[in-house]
Amino acid sequence: MISGLDGVTGTDAKRLVTPGIAAANGVDPSFEAVFARIAATARDTMKAGEAAAISGVKGDASVQEVVRAMMTAEQQLRAAIAVRDRVVAAYQEVSRMQI
Amino acid sequence: MSADPLAMVSRIAGAGLEAQSYRLRVVSENIANAQSTGGTEGADPYRRKTVVFGAELDRELGALTVEVKRTAVDDTPFTVEYDPGHPAANAQGEVKMPNVNLLVEMADMREANLSYEANLQMMKRARSMVSMTIDLLRSGS
Repeated sequence: MISGLDGVTGTDAKRLVTPGIAAANGVDPSFEAVFARIAATARDTMKAGEAAAISGVKGDASVQEVVRAMMTAEQQLRAAIAVRDRVVAAYQEVSRMQI
Repeated sequence: MSADPLAMVSRIAGAGLEAQSYRLRVVSENIANAQSTGGTEGADPYRRKTVVFGAELDRELGALTVEVKRTAVDDTPFTVEYDPGHPAANAQGEVKMPNVNLLVEMADMREANLSYEANLQMMKRARSMVSMTIDLLRSGS
């Protein structure tokens, strides 16, 4: 990732991404796109967990199904938060850099 | 379809939990109806139910999960009790009692319970493995 820091002189965040993972599988490798995808997946999973919880309260879904959906949502959220923390830390690291 | 094996584990174990709870449901049905006789003369009493499990390919998941295939009935003959005053008694005064053996039901219940726990442990283990991996991202700052 260090080699990608050459791109810091530009303002385009896309240039920060190392070429190795760039567009290899046709997905936008820019930071915003990756983070947006993570956030979207997390949101969908949480919505599914919430829907399962509601149907569990209504009595439509079994306890096992509710617990499983909630657990998946929780893990997804934890992963998203961990990624966010790392990203924020990286940005702070860059902003603290001596010029 | 799903690429994450640990996510698959929790789904597979979830199917196991469902199957074992269904089995416990059938056991409770058997125990509750252990004295259910017929209502008319010579009528058959409650017949013990059994559960048939089978592996089912979950196409969305790409893995074999357990599923309750059907509930079968136990064909063992009914026990006969002498009770001439009973509405289900035949001309000889014999009443057919359900073929439910409480000892067998208890054993089945314990087995369902143990299988449930095993599936639950599987789920717990997968969960803790995922958490450990996420924590790697967290504390490794």
